[in-house]
Amino acid sequence: MLLALSSPMLSHYLLTGAVLFMLGLVGFISRRNMIQMFLCTEMMFQGVVVSLVAFSAFHGNVTGQTFVIFVLTIAAAEAALALGLVVLLFRHRRTLDASAWSALNG
Amino acid sequence: MFPQLVLYLATVCGAAALYLLMPKPGRDLRVIGGLLGAATLGGLWLVLLPLYLMKGGPLGGGGTVGLHTGFDGAQLPFYYAFSAVGIVSAVRVITHTRPVYAALWFVMVVIASAGLMLTLAAEFMALAMVIIYGGAILVTYMFVIMLATPPQAENEDGMTPDYDRVASEPLWAAVAGFLMLAVILSVVFMPMAPNQAARLPDDAVLQASTFTGRAIVDELKYSTPSGAMAPDSEATGTIRNVEHVGLDLFRSHPLAIELAGIILLLALIGAVVIAKTRVDGADADAAPERMDVGPVEPSAPAG
Repeated sequence: MLLALSSPMLSHYLLTGAVLFMLGLVGFISRRNMIQMFLCTEMMFQGVVVSLVAFSAFHGNVTGQTFVIFVLTIAAAEAALALGLVVLLFRHRRTLDASAWSALNG
Repeated sequence: MFPQLVLYLATVCGAAALYLLMPKPGRDLRVIGGLLGAATLGGLWLVLLPLYLMKGGPLGGGGTVGLHTGFDGAQLPFYYAFSAVGIVSAVRVITHTRPVYAALWFVMVVIASAGLMLTLAAEFMALAMVIIYGGAILVTYMFVIMLATPPQAENEDGMTPDYDRVASEPLWAAVAGFLMLAVILSVVFMPMAPNQAARLPDDAVLQASTFTGRAIVDELKYSTPSGAMAPDSEATGTIRNVEHVGLDLFRSHPLAIELAGIILLLALIGAVVIAKTRVDGADADAAPERMDVGPVEPSAPAG
């Protein structure tokens, strides 16, 4: 049985999702530790997931929840690759500071 | 327009609070930032609740006073509780100076958003979230944090490295983030109508078209942890959340499942390739720093 969410309540859930996404974005911009930057991308995923599930309840359609499964798939793949890269970069420079790689700016 | 003005005001206050909370050199203003952030969040909700939910409120257009949430009343406090926990934990994730604690606060974010999904009657998503994020992905992060700790991190008086203690461009990051949030919020609180065409067929209809003959094949009876028999979905004519999601996943998105499998396989191969990459000179650099840690195994190419 799907929950029929009302429009104001959907707005509240979207607010929470948007705030989580925004905090992840701010963290990704402002943190300098590469591990923490990728943690912040996971937090952006969290915000999107909350919005998707809220929309799913609002429209009475589970496709939103199905998409969450794919979001989780991408998040898992991204975590594996990103953390492998972080370890590789750490072995190059012996530091997790993202600005150690600012020569890549060009 | 008045409600939008409230939202923009809260956005500005939130940006200021987040800027104060960011780790910076100089005076420690984090207490002020925390108070401002809490006041913003509380004020936003105390204003939003009467403005949008109480029908007798200033914008409710008369009618009976009461909540119209789509919930059966008791769930509304849980939204506020989980949402507050989630947002506060998220702030701690991006303001904490130690990555290990940031990862632990992220577990809190995951649990809070799983709670939000429970209030939305999406039990499967909530549990999958806790298992995959809180279990698998966070353990991976913990491993990497331990693997990639610089040797000088445990130097004098336990100070964390400089790049953990000082955020880069906290002001512009906060401004950019909250500008985006203001744009989103200007749309989010407009009244919306659900798409009736997207609504799933009634449970009983889906039940009749889906589970015919299952009772013969599947004689398994479900039982709850308390030992009492759960109402059988075939008897009650309703479908559980897990069944809903499974049906939609395998009926409507078979190609996407295959693609997800390919993506996971590619990520697996890519992770192995990245881990096997030899880094020239990295192990030579590391050797003198690692000497005092203990006996080093003579073999094992790194990775």
